[in-house]
Amino acid sequence: MKGGKAVDNKRSKRRGWFSVTRRRDLKGLLFMLPWTLGFGLFFASPLYQSVIFSLNKITITARGRRMAYVGLQNYYDIFQKDIYFVERLRAFFTNTLLSLPVILVFSLLIAMLINQKIRGKGLFRAIFFLPIIVVSGPMLNMLIQEGATTIPLIEQYGIYDALLNLPYFLQEPINYLFSQLIMVLWYSGVPILIFLAGLQKIDTSLNEAALIDGASSWVVFWKITLPSLRNMVLINAIYTMVFLATSEINEVIALIRSNMLAPDRGYGIASAMAWSYSLGIALAIVLIYLLIGREKKPELHKIAVYRKKGGARHAR
Amino acid sequence: MRAVNINPKGFSRDQLKIYAYIVPLCLFMLLPILYIFTSAFKPISELFAFPPRFLVANPTLDNFSRLSQTTQQSTVSLGRYVFNSALVTLAVVLLSIIISSMAGYAFSKLRFRGSGLLFEINTIALMFVPVAVMIPRYLVIDRLGIINSYLAHILPLLSMPVGLFLLKQFIDQVPDELMEAAKVDGAGPLRVYWKVVLPLIRPAIATVAILAFQAVWGNTETSSMFTTKENMRTLSFFMSTLAAQNTGVAGQGVAAASMLIMFVPNILLFIILQSKVMNTMAYSGMK
Repeated sequence: MKGGKAVDNKRSKRRGWFSVTRRRDLKGLLFMLPWTLGFGLFFASPLYQSVIFSLNKITITARGRRMAYVGLQNYYDIFQKDIYFVERLRAFFTNTLLSLPVILVFSLLIAMLINQKIRGKGLFRAIFFLPIIVVSGPMLNMLIQEGATTIPLIEQYGIYDALLNLPYFLQEPINYLFSQLIMVLWYSGVPILIFLAGLQKIDTSLNEAALIDGASSWVVFWKITLPSLRNMVLINAIYTMVFLATSEINEVIALIRSNMLAPDRGYGIASAMAWSYSLGIALAIVLIYLLIGREKKPELHKIAVYRKKGGARHAR
Repeated sequence: MRAVNINPKGFSRDQLKIYAYIVPLCLFMLLPILYIFTSAFKPISELFAFPPRFLVANPTLDNFSRLSQTTQQSTVSLGRYVFNSALVTLAVVLLSIIISSMAGYAFSKLRFRGSGLLFEINTIALMFVPVAVMIPRYLVIDRLGIINSYLAHILPLLSMPVGLFLLKQFIDQVPDELMEAAKVDGAGPLRVYWKVVLPLIRPAIATVAILAFQAVWGNTETSSMFTTKENMRTLSFFMSTLAAQNTGVAGQGVAAASMLIMFVPNILLFIILQSKVMNTMAYSGMK
């Protein structure tokens, strides 16, 4: 490796350990060091351990842990024998599929409203970010237990009856969406902020130029605002997905937690569940990536072309 | 630069229609906070009313007096729990901000081999449910021999993939030109990080600080898993046991009161930091 780097920097006088790229690597790694250490110790190594656990049957006896290698048996068990796991997994993914777009659209709407020229902007921003201190804390469990997150009106006023006319596979998710509407809105705290940051970065002269050219604000939204926010949509989609997947009140997590400490099921089963669940989430995030995609950078390209032209003119 | 003068001085009629949308939604968002405040003052008859009500008709301080009675029965003084919580929270918030922003800066602006891979690993770690690593984490902490120390509270919570993810995304938006300028003026990477990057990403830092505070302040897991001595446990753990001691009807009242007490620091921090959070990237320097 050393040799290869030295060839890269033939002109640099210092070689080997002190070559430019080597020093650059070193600086980067030094900045990374605390994070890497903590991550390795408290995340990567436990993660590795849990893979091993998921391939073992673990029984806890008075004398300590006993592990017996069982291969993929745990995975087979949770998908074939467990009555809750597959069902809850399915429920989670259907519900996420529904609430994710709602959260994204809602937070974009709010972000655009707050970005208007109105008085008391700061106050409104604060209020819409406020639920974050409820949603990510232990308060949420208590609020749910006390029924503060449901809208009692829904059950009283016919919405539930209207749902019965829908095909069955739609009934449950839509009912969920309505009953969880408050929760869904509370999850929008961070997405609103990220969208706001994006909106404020859009060059207003772009909007003005489009408006002068006769574009309606509807067209401006679709042709300018939304494409410029593409990256933000992606970040928000991933963030929200992760937030929903790891939230305290998630039913799949509750199942994993209860299995973890159950003497007859054991930690092996719980680890296998956690891994299957995480793979599912990873798959979902890959899908999000493919769907929304990374922002291409047309501006940079254009600038390069522009400069080339300018350069050519100078040469002449 | 519209972003800079965000608050128009005057009030015009055009704004009314926007208010018509925003104000009801705001009230909607404020409901849970209202609920936390009112339910702490509700007498037992109202706590169990169905459907639950947001306002309290006959406010009382019963819940708090019962809470303080239970507190006096405990062997460890309340001050000790408060001190533990404050120390742990402060350490975790400060350290995790420093660690994640340093790593985020390295990921985003310093090109070095392996950075792409490491960041992918962090993104994957985001997806992994924290419950699954609880027991292996205990084993690590046991092996390090830091059970029953403050380190057992602090170290496991420092790895915060979400914080790193958000900070990296914000640092990506800091224009390279600013850093180049600093470099030309002779600043090394540490100085660039400290003098250019950190001040520019203050809004993101405030956001991460709030998230980190959330993760630590309400955390009961480190107390129940990594400590065995009562005097090393945190306030949130103590509060959760109080609610469990007062089972049944009275327990709900105590739970509501302790919830409010745990919630007050949250909202104070929020009020202090919110102006910074909200300014998002309004002053990112270049356009």
